Amino acid sequence: MSPLQNLHDLSVPYAVANQDIAFESFDGDVVVVDLGNGKYYSFSDGGSAVWESLMAGVAPAELVTTSSFGGEIPAFLATICDYGLLVPRPEVAPVPLSASLADQVSRAKEPPDVSVFDDMADLFVADPIHDVEEPEGWPAVKRA
Amino acid sequence: MLLQERRFDPVTPATMAQYGRSLLEFASREQECELQRIDVSLPGIDLRIRIPDSPLADAARTAFAAGDGLPGASRLEVEVSVLHTGALQAPAPSSWGREPYKPHEISKLLGEAGLQGSLFHDLRFWQFYDLEAHRGVQLMKGPEAFPPWEPGAPLRAFLHWAYAAQGRRMTHAGCLGLDGRGVLLAGAGGAGKSGTVLAGILNGLSSVGDDYVLVDMSQDAVSAHPVYSTLKQDAKGMERLGLDRLLGPRNLNWQGKVQFRASEIGALVPADGLEVAAVLLPRTGSPRTTIRPATRAEALLALAPSAVYQMPGERESGFRFFSRLVARLPVFHLDLGPDPKEVAGTIGAFIAGGSA
Repeated sequence: MSPLQNLHDLSVPYAVANQDIAFESFDGDVVVVDLGNGKYYSFSDGGSAVWESLMAGVAPAELVTTSSFGGEIPAFLATICDYGLLVPRPEVAPVPLSASLADQVSRAKEPPDVSVFDDMADLFVADPIHDVEEPEGWPAVKRA
Repeated sequence: MLLQERRFDPVTPATMAQYGRSLLEFASREQECELQRIDVSLPGIDLRIRIPDSPLADAARTAFAAGDGLPGASRLEVEVSVLHTGALQAPAPSSWGREPYKPHEISKLLGEAGLQGSLFHDLRFWQFYDLEAHRGVQLMKGPEAFPPWEPGAPLRAFLHWAYAAQGRRMTHAGCLGLDGRGVLLAGAGGAGKSGTVLAGILNGLSSVGDDYVLVDMSQDAVSAHPVYSTLKQDAKGMERLGLDRLLGPRNLNWQGKVQFRASEIGALVPADGLEVAAVLLPRTGSPRTTIRPATRAEALLALAPSAVYQMPGERESGFRFFSRLVARLPVFHLDLGPDPKEVAGTIGAFIAGGSA
């Protein structure tokens, strides 16, 4: 864990960083997409439970005390904040953890973790539609 | 002052909508007799293409699937004008300025002006679409100054914008069916979509496309419909499937693949589409073909990225659309064996057995 990760306030709620962060949950599996840069994120069951709790307005500190992987939650929070997915909302009061979310958090078999799918890079490498030498012609930031 | 006499500064995010409006206005003034008119009946859309005689005109006459089947849907009239410098006094395409071209930001800015649009930088290949008037314009530097994928799926971006506005979606997926029911085959390039579709077609299954299909969820059932009639396969796959003997020597397309029409191999293409009963996620490299459950998150990760990012604009609506799609349908991994008959037989039995 980097020293910076300890700077994230665990007592306040968090919210998605901006309107380009979209997410869906399927049977407890969360998929997040940053529409601005094309990156997708998927989570372990522990990560999905933490994400859904945070989206409900729960403060991370309450999750630390609920999850059997509580010690890993601060680093997970720091990672997803560093990815630009979440920002703290200290001006908002945290919401208590519901029974159903507490059950989801406590039942998680895996520690909270996130996988990143760099879709832009993957498209140019793996997708023949984009397997061209002129990458600026397709969704890409034009180089100056 | 005529547009072709005006000198546009390089386009920036702030001026792109204005530039698009000027091109749309120019296209609307063109005399009908100066452009060829190609009418295409597509699911839910009557597409009128105005285009000079050119390779793209040839592609537009042959690349679309026949049929207008989308039962119960009202039809939308869409007109797209294709222009290039040197014909009909069309202006030279403007260049892009020094600001970064961020597609999602540009899409949002254009959307505020009632437009969608995109630029293929190297060729100054511009496309704009008026979301309210349902009119589009495509401006090129010359008759052959288009991206290499354009002839195989011409005007794809315009159809994407028109269908997205209807709540439907051009979807990067293959499709196979039997007796009106079918499965979507989703995954990135190289996953085995096209080879699986061809294996199915050659062994008795129907299909509405191997690369792009229209998916509709506005009715009770999810359905997939044909838009393009082109199929493609690399040399190795052509040999494995016996298509090299069936079709004879062919030129390769920009992907190094043979491109041909579905009718050339006698494909069954249901004009009214197929009721989609499942999403399959193909993957090559197994000793035999098997189907096993996948998670909805896996299906979304396989289906949405390329489908959302290959098409300019409408990213969030695309993510939401495919999220709803995988929430409505069962999803499975399709581990592909090497034998095309076995692949087709497994999928056909899966569909017929009601597992799908």
